[in-house]
Amino acid sequence: MSDSMIEQSAARLFSENVDKGLLEKFETGAFPEELWQLAADSGFPLALADEEGGGIGESWAAAYPILRGIGYWQVPLPLAETMIGAQLLSMAGIEVPEGPIAIVEQGLGNTLSASGNVDSLTLTGELPRVAWARHCRWAVVSLATEGIALVDLQEDESVRIIERTNHAKIPADGLSFDGVRAVARAANPLPQLDRPVWTLGALARSAMIVGALEWLLEQSVQYANDRVQFGKPIGKNQALQQQLALMAGDVAAARMAVLVAMNDAPSANARDCSSTLFSTSVAKIRSGEAATRATSIAHQVHGAIGFTYEHMLNFGTRRLWAWREEFGSDSWWAERLGQAAIEARSSGFWPSLTQRRFDRGIRTA
Amino acid sequence: MQALDIQPGELPPECEALRQEVRAFVAEHLADYPPAKRARNWSGSDPEFSRKMAEKGWIGMTWPKRYGGGERSPLERYVVLEELLAAGAPVGAHWVADRQSGPLLMRFSPDVLAPQIVPKIVRSEAFFCIGMSEPDSGSDLASIRTKATKTKKGWLINGRKVWTSGAHRTHYMIALVRTGERGENRHAGMSQFLIDMKTPGMTIRPIISQLGEHDFNEVTFDDVLVPHDNLIGLEGGGWNQVTTELAFERSGPERYLSSSQLLLEMLDVADADDSRQATGLGRIAAQYATLRQMSLGVSAMLARGESPALAAAAVKDQGALVEQAMPDIAHDLFGGRVDPDSPLAQVMQYTAMAVPSFSLRGGTREILRGIIARGLGLR
Repeated sequence: MSDSMIEQSAARLFSENVDKGLLEKFETGAFPEELWQLAADSGFPLALADEEGGGIGESWAAAYPILRGIGYWQVPLPLAETMIGAQLLSMAGIEVPEGPIAIVEQGLGNTLSASGNVDSLTLTGELPRVAWARHCRWAVVSLATEGIALVDLQEDESVRIIERTNHAKIPADGLSFDGVRAVARAANPLPQLDRPVWTLGALARSAMIVGALEWLLEQSVQYANDRVQFGKPIGKNQALQQQLALMAGDVAAARMAVLVAMNDAPSANARDCSSTLFSTSVAKIRSGEAATRATSIAHQVHGAIGFTYEHMLNFGTRRLWAWREEFGSDSWWAERLGQAAIEARSSGFWPSLTQRRFDRGIRTA
Repeated sequence: MQALDIQPGELPPECEALRQEVRAFVAEHLADYPPAKRARNWSGSDPEFSRKMAEKGWIGMTWPKRYGGGERSPLERYVVLEELLAAGAPVGAHWVADRQSGPLLMRFSPDVLAPQIVPKIVRSEAFFCIGMSEPDSGSDLASIRTKATKTKKGWLINGRKVWTSGAHRTHYMIALVRTGERGENRHAGMSQFLIDMKTPGMTIRPIISQLGEHDFNEVTFDDVLVPHDNLIGLEGGGWNQVTTELAFERSGPERYLSSSQLLLEMLDVADADDSRQATGLGRIAAQYATLRQMSLGVSAMLARGESPALAAAAVKDQGALVEQAMPDIAHDLFGGRVDPDSPLAQVMQYTAMAVPSFSLRGGTREILRGIIARGLGLR
């Protein structure tokens, strides 16, 4: 599939099939099965998976329109999670199962521990927030020293699911593992990344944030031009123009950070990760910061009507508040990027910036 | 909104070899250059350093060979600029000439003025200042009153320019003046002139900044006679030409790197295990990385012959926010707690006093956001 084909097919599928009715129904707890099937028929869940594993083997840059589209059209599907899970499984030589896949990184926000040996690995611990878990048969778990494991969330009796949702009513369920047996296990296929699920999760969230930001900016400009007060569109006021211009600059910055991070991400065919962690941390920081400012400006521009459930605005802003904190908030990543910058000192900072990599790495523990 | 869509710019492999060459040059010539001076960044002026750059072929490096230029790519020039700025090199003497005056002369007076003047810029023998603002014309540039009247001997200029950086140490000014009445089109009736700073009738009076330094000047024109040939481009075409010039002025890496020395000094004293320090500096690092890519993206657009006025405004606005946040972050993390004789203390003090001008020079924040708002379809 060519890049523009993915872009066109994502735009068509999402714009024709995701509307307010579907989103409201989703928020009552209904999983959009038909929409998932359409996305699966388009090959989206396997876009990043190795061709030998039944995928398309696309680069992150080529798959960007899907991720951006999840934000722009508020697509209520675990597509990002499944794309990442399938990429890691296929690259590790594990057969990719059908259906939505949840993803977990050991030790970041959970008490997960692994025991046993290569043939029989069991997992125990509390995982307070796992996106989409209740709708996923499978979870890909990245373990600190044991590689990656595939876990059955629905058929294993030692898994308990505690239903929770994030700001956007998207499942962010608690999982309780009591000696869950891994059904498959392999070495981390991206050994340059200590935390492959967490890092790629942050990368995907950054792209989704940019899509939502672009939608938010368009909605805000449109509203400012349509809404008339004091006999003129409110967008004619310099006070609003200045705010919207700041928002546009923030969106342009976040998009740039994400596009560069997409180019620096590993694909099934090009596994180099030497700049992945650097560029992903920049993308998550910059998109998270933009989300914070843009949601505030968008709500101010929209006035009272934007505070109603009926108006679409909140379907974008609630996603941004959820996504900016998932897989590491901007401050979480900034602390780690800052540590690396301090360790590089004045002599190493600029060369690290131009090569998009700190020689001593970024500590994600 | 397409216009704000800046795509990542790819640097060709030859740029990396050049980058190492610039780093070696900086290491050789600036090894003992103190942090307090590096803090001036591109406001620092050293004609001797400019001459060394000229010897390397790094002034006018993209310009045609017939003007003495190096015919190298804009992206190679970008790499040279960002490396020098990141090191706080004193590039101020030739900066304006290399960035905008040379390109303006080559574009609008390719056969008359450019052949005489541009080779001197390339050799670092001609430095330029910008004559745009006036006492009653700041952001409202179209309201200028300095006037040129055509006579047999040449144009007779009368009036006053202000905030003219480096007028006292440059050889030429390119001035925007009124050559006709402003009619219904408020942008009509303006023209640009090349003016030798030694022309009789010019008075340069220093304006001391709040840093206690002399960079700005007020330049008074009292029957200053300028040859006919020194009209740049079309009579009455000044506004369009100035708009082109401002796109050059707003798009470069100097629009986010001005406070770099303060960042470097903070990195040298910071404690990696101090969460507050690491988080604050990490946010700046992320913004630097992003602005660098945006600035590079705009350079790539210029290299493709596009006109990224809107993107340049956005980069300058975002860049100034980061440059200006730097002393406040330094204050927050280290204020009142550093050795007053340390480089950090000196650089903090200088930068805190310097940054208010960063969102004024080259177009105020409000003017830039107005340009962006127009691009968004709000005006």
